[in-house]
Amino acid sequence: MAMKSWMYSVLEAVQHEMREDPAMTWIFELTPPVASNPGKPVINLETEFGRKRVVNTGIDENWMASAVLGAGLAGSRSATYIPYQGSCMPFQVIQNVAAKLRHKTGGRAEMPVVWIIEMTGQTPGFAQQHSCYEEDSYYMHIPGVRTVIPSTPFDAKGLMHAALRSRDPVVYLYPAGLRTLTEEVPDDPFEVPLDKAAVRREGGDLTIVSSGAGMPGVLEAAETLAAEGIAADVIDLRALTEMDTETIVNSVSKTKRLLTVDQSYYTLCPGAEVIARSVENVEGVKVKRVAFPDAPPPASPEMFLWMRPGPENVAEAARALV
Amino acid sequence: MDYDATIPQREPDDVPESRSRRGFLKLAALTGAAVSVGRQAGALSEVPFAARELSNEKLIEMYRTILRIRWHERTQADQMLENPDYRGYNHFYAGQEAVATGVCAALRNTGARDQVDLAYSSHRPSGHAIAKGVDIPKMVAEMDFRSTGMNGGYGAEMHIADPDVGFAGADGMIGPAPVIASGSAFAMRARGSDQVAVVFAGDGNYAAPHFHSTMNNAALLDLPLIYVMENNLYHQYAHYSLSCPHVDIAEAASVYGVHARTVDGQDVVQVYNAAKEAVDRARAGEGPSFIEAKTYRYYNHWGAPGAKAGELGAFGYDPLAITHFRPEKELRAWMQRDPVDIARKILVDWGVVDTARAREIEEEVKAEIAEAFEWGLAQPLCTPEDGLKNVFVEGTVPPRQFG
Repeated sequence: MAMKSWMYSVLEAVQHEMREDPAMTWIFELTPPVASNPGKPVINLETEFGRKRVVNTGIDENWMASAVLGAGLAGSRSATYIPYQGSCMPFQVIQNVAAKLRHKTGGRAEMPVVWIIEMTGQTPGFAQQHSCYEEDSYYMHIPGVRTVIPSTPFDAKGLMHAALRSRDPVVYLYPAGLRTLTEEVPDDPFEVPLDKAAVRREGGDLTIVSSGAGMPGVLEAAETLAAEGIAADVIDLRALTEMDTETIVNSVSKTKRLLTVDQSYYTLCPGAEVIARSVENVEGVKVKRVAFPDAPPPASPEMFLWMRPGPENVAEAARALV
Repeated sequence: MDYDATIPQREPDDVPESRSRRGFLKLAALTGAAVSVGRQAGALSEVPFAARELSNEKLIEMYRTILRIRWHERTQADQMLENPDYRGYNHFYAGQEAVATGVCAALRNTGARDQVDLAYSSHRPSGHAIAKGVDIPKMVAEMDFRSTGMNGGYGAEMHIADPDVGFAGADGMIGPAPVIASGSAFAMRARGSDQVAVVFAGDGNYAAPHFHSTMNNAALLDLPLIYVMENNLYHQYAHYSLSCPHVDIAEAASVYGVHARTVDGQDVVQVYNAAKEAVDRARAGEGPSFIEAKTYRYYNHWGAPGAKAGELGAFGYDPLAITHFRPEKELRAWMQRDPVDIARKILVDWGVVDTARAREIEEEVKAEIAEAFEWGLAQPLCTPEDGLKNVFVEGTVPPRQFG
């Protein structure tokens, strides 16, 4: 157990799995699989496992996404790290090939593969093409591929172990804005289930549901609300596909008030699905949805920071709901 | 120059040696400034020396363009290092100025949409923009997120565009721009125009599937497309030998039946000669050309405000380049063949200007750029609510961040 950064936690899981399984491969472009952490040995997958298994390729996300799928079909576990703006380039192979393979082969295809896909755009100024405000919605819509989105270093490691060990293909979304988070993370391997939400706070006055990059702001808002006497249940979805309806419905049945918070576009944001499942299952729920407007994130920090949902937006919407 | 000593060193590893990696690297290094010419890519001597037809005024203007790009970048780097209020970032072009300048000097950079030649840029756009003739003060304002900037503060560095001068724009993505440029070339050919579409792309673009699609369709349809590959040896932090099995990427283009040249990207005259040949061919309906310009960027992959010399986001040291540092000696070797120095020497040797006048011109350009920054950084900031505009032609989208 030690305080660990996000990336160190993730690569610790990958390193463990690659040591256990000499057939496992890792493909990257540009972002070297290297992490250091105070008091811990440096992890460098490229030097430890060699360039036959750990490949630095060209800027070709289509190949990266397809190659891990092919590796999986050939019987090797495989993962790839697709940085920032490349995230929708491999969409076709995930959406129209991998997602349908198990079904169309009558369950015979095996795909122990993981696509680690960065979601960037939390830094003002990056803007537009270096901002991923749609990927959670895109990937969660695909049946046949599990889509997860951790929001803490602990979950990042546990979900990585679970994803690499899963026989299902996994899209592992990585909100890059959270890369500076650190927390206590066990050294030994452990799994966080690929289909369970986490209840981060228990309150009872209302339910706030978010995921990934939205979580720090939601937790900050919940703190503010608590000081005002408003106690919120805070749920971190973690799994977008398959979504943990039970955890959401249990909370909403109790609070009858639901606020969803997303950093991605309003239309078809993950919160829209949370709201739909809640009103389908619970009578008389009041709902509100906080999300990024249906506009690409502009470069100007003045425009961008006003549009991006912050803790104050969350708190204000929560107050209006209770 | 002995480039063997300066190539990126690699540890012996277990990559299958399908061809001699070491031999490849030696060759790749030699192509640096000396220019290696593959048989298929066409020998340099075959390129018509079109620059001899250029007027003195045009040659001086090309020299000014190189200087504008250089001093825009040096001034911007100083802003990043020294001005705590400066917010812009850039993917620097310094070292590559002769490529944008030589190519755009062969293009039509004014006129209506059905006359001006179109240039598509990469995510390293400021040199292309200046060479195409954008308003530099407005570009400076855009890079600092100002509402009166070239794109109203919506785009910033990676997304600058000015259709009025045929600058189709920067692209933050690796891959799509060449294919899209081929679509513009397709339209130009279909409507019987003699316009050409140019795309500037780095060596990193070769590995993307878009390269195949672009080359294949440009050749199949005889498109007036000029693909300028700026091979500066590194895509972000990785040497191009990690993404391309060729020494000259132009060889790959020629396999598609595309007329291909390899040129010294540090020498504006050589770049111009190749570009003029390509433009003449395209206008005459003789189809696409590919120009691989061997060049080098002086600064890091990118620079950001708050940079500190020798530290993160600064210049000369790149902490993100964990596996592939650029050797300092390699950088120094390339700086010995600086495009500004080469252009100046050509002008002096050709009797266009004397050394004193060449220095004067540089001072004039420095003053022009200083004024551009003074104007650009005094421009108003954006209005937050305007973020909801420009999604469609008309109207605004609703705010959704308040619930």
